[in-house]
Amino acid sequence: MEKIASEAQAVEFVRAASEARAPFEIVAGGTRRQVGKPMADLPRLDVSGLSGIVKYEPAELIITAAPSTPLTEITSVLAEKGQRLGFDPADWSRLLGSNGVATLGGAASADASGSGRLRHGAARDSLLAFRGVNGQGEAFRGGAKVVKNVTGFDLPKLVCGAYGSLCVLTELTFRVFPKPPLAVTLCLADVEPEVGFAALRKIALSALEPAGLAYLPATMMPGVGQGAALIKLEGARQPLEEKIALAHGLLGQAVQRIEDDPFPAIASGEKFADLPGHVWRVMVAPADAPRVAKELKAQHWLGDWAGGLIWLAAAPADASRVRAIAAGARGQAMLLRGSPDARAALGLYAAQAPALITLSRAVKAAFDPLGLFNPGRL
Amino acid sequence: MLLPPTNAKIVARRAEIVAALREIVPDGVVADESGLATFDSDALSAYHQMPLVCVLPSNRQQVSEILKYAQAEGIPIVPRGSGTSLSGGALPREDGILIGMGRMKRILEIDYENGCVVVEPGVTNLNITKAVEANGFYYAPDPSSQVACSIGGNVAENSGGLHCLKYGLTTNNLLGVTFVLPGGEIVTIGGKCGAQGGLDLLGLITGSEGLLGVVVEVVVKILRKPPVTRTLMASFDTVTEAGACVAAVIADGVVPAAMEFMDGRAAEAIESYNQPGYPLGSAAILIIDADGVEADVSHAIARVTEIVTQCGGKAVEATDEKQRARIWSGRKAAFAAMGKLAPDMICMDGTIPRHALPFVLDEMAKLSEKYELGFCNVFHAGDGNLHPLIIFDIMKPGEFERAEAFGADILRLCVKVGGVLSGEHGVGVEKRDLMTDMFTPEELALQGRVKCAFDVQGLFNPGKVFPTLSACVEQGHIHVHGAQLPHPHLPRF
Repeated sequence: MEKIASEAQAVEFVRAASEARAPFEIVAGGTRRQVGKPMADLPRLDVSGLSGIVKYEPAELIITAAPSTPLTEITSVLAEKGQRLGFDPADWSRLLGSNGVATLGGAASADASGSGRLRHGAARDSLLAFRGVNGQGEAFRGGAKVVKNVTGFDLPKLVCGAYGSLCVLTELTFRVFPKPPLAVTLCLADVEPEVGFAALRKIALSALEPAGLAYLPATMMPGVGQGAALIKLEGARQPLEEKIALAHGLLGQAVQRIEDDPFPAIASGEKFADLPGHVWRVMVAPADAPRVAKELKAQHWLGDWAGGLIWLAAAPADASRVRAIAAGARGQAMLLRGSPDARAALGLYAAQAPALITLSRAVKAAFDPLGLFNPGRL
Repeated sequence: MLLPPTNAKIVARRAEIVAALREIVPDGVVADESGLATFDSDALSAYHQMPLVCVLPSNRQQVSEILKYAQAEGIPIVPRGSGTSLSGGALPREDGILIGMGRMKRILEIDYENGCVVVEPGVTNLNITKAVEANGFYYAPDPSSQVACSIGGNVAENSGGLHCLKYGLTTNNLLGVTFVLPGGEIVTIGGKCGAQGGLDLLGLITGSEGLLGVVVEVVVKILRKPPVTRTLMASFDTVTEAGACVAAVIADGVVPAAMEFMDGRAAEAIESYNQPGYPLGSAAILIIDADGVEADVSHAIARVTEIVTQCGGKAVEATDEKQRARIWSGRKAAFAAMGKLAPDMICMDGTIPRHALPFVLDEMAKLSEKYELGFCNVFHAGDGNLHPLIIFDIMKPGEFERAEAFGADILRLCVKVGGVLSGEHGVGVEKRDLMTDMFTPEELALQGRVKCAFDVQGLFNPGKVFPTLSACVEQGHIHVHGAQLPHPHLPRF
């Protein structure tokens, strides 16, 4: 394992690797190594030394940091100025049984967006610029450190969710936003999935700008009867009270408030950490959620993003059924946690249409012609 | 502007190509001179070129057949939406087929349950909002040309608008597309579930300026209209104060739905054009929208009013919906109003970090003296997206060249302060030769290889966006024989 701490070292390492045509695995905090197809036992490039905030400009609403900066460091530095990241990064380390440190670059590479994706978009929506080293050992940049830019191809979109298959990231610039001072979660208790999801969609399609909308059945949240629809609203004191009143109006009743924010534990997947079997993230059109949830027949599941994201734990034998249900709903079933054999057989997502596979391979080759970076992972 | 040389052999085969296209689209081939004249430029009207032929398909199969034919015959393709591009993205080629998407303008599905709409690419931006507004919804990106510009063109250019400060660009409001690749293959990327299951090709296609293929179907998000929108107009005695006010508002943590800047000259031109009620005699005006629930909006308006006063400005709020609409109609007519000031103008489109605003405004004034040409500033201040309008007279020898040089210097200035050549209009032919000011040769080569991943023959919109056209074969050549990469036989990906 080689450790690097600068872009120049990354360039040097990649050049040597390309000379030797030696593919390698890129590891920062290591919390997401068990996601995606397992790679052969390759040499590792440890990029954890590429850490630290490079420049934080609160007045510009942007932050530039090295990719291995811990998410907790970013969050606390932003909070000091009353700001938050442009997206809501999810830390899956507890679910995946990792003792590592979740990093900004890892969250971007996995496009790991938490419950706030509903309102704030995914990592790809707020990554403005990056620097990286391509497979020819050339340092390059994509995007720019301004909030509006259409100059050339939008490469920042591509590196989000690419699982390190396109380049070695060396710097990331994200959009940040003011953090609303207060948040509250409303709980519509004892509702079955159809009713709960319908309530969530009503809020999602309102002007309340909700920060989280999830449905949890009784198996995932004891004490709420059949299940609960959870609605997270944000704002300063007075606007927040107004939003709560409006939400009550939309729901046709006043509902209880929950003191502790339940959403971090939803977005991190930790509710599934101690359950056996595979853990899936199934993305569907939100209105299909009740039907899809019923078809999946899982005992342990929940719906985030107003139904657009269904988490479930399922026996390994159910894998092809889960994939078929997702495909039937024109959705995507992502295998977030599974044994190496299962991940090798199933891949992170179902196989795409042949034309898209060809295109994706060609795009990958444009960045990494020798296939050096995380080969076979996506 | 140097475009790739015309292929005379293709031009010589024109009659045969027209006949072949008529086989595919019997009722949608324009080949006569007067018909083609309609298509000889887009909104960057300084550049004109008659296309070899224009074809107007009415369904995706026809698009696929056209592209298949063009690829087999090696004929360049220039895609066109409504032709409102300000960067020459749809400028035709003498040896190329112009494929106009205007006839594919059906709204295919309105899905309120999932908050999205499925449309064909020729539907205008505004017609999406019109289709859903009775139910209290709208489509957020609102380029000033929204009456005319098409959603397919918006995808190609990643269009922004007045309200993208809060609601994002096209790319942030798009769930999926159906796309025809250069070889004619039809692929669907993303969809109502908002996930793609692989690399974010949707993000790559958005803003690709017609270099990668043709959009034939689009799924966009729609949003609930905010219950309350209020508008402030702030006037300042100096441009610098107005610039500082913009930075102060953003730094304060308020996210206005829109924050627009115009200098005194623009404000006066607009006032005499459609009388929106702008205060005369100010050096600069800001128009600021806040939207959301009542309490959020009241807080934002109160806070912005305070900041305006602290920055030495005077804030007035629109008293009713009618006045609000008037204030915005003025802003949206800025381009037309400026047209009354001078025979010709060009509109630039750089983005800068917001803190650099006062400096850049000063520097632009100096450039104006250097080139002895007038200009005015109308721009999306909230996100640092400048739209300086340079005024000139094309009939006066040398003025067009001076205007272009002035514009290029403004964009170089944007890049110098850490900004970009284009915030929302695209590179097209207009800023193509400035790309080397922003990107290194390695960065341009990488983007060129990304293009080749889609368009191996280099037939899609040649001469746009990238300054040097290197054939994909040549690019492959670099991969394999470059000093760093001596192993051509390795398996890839």
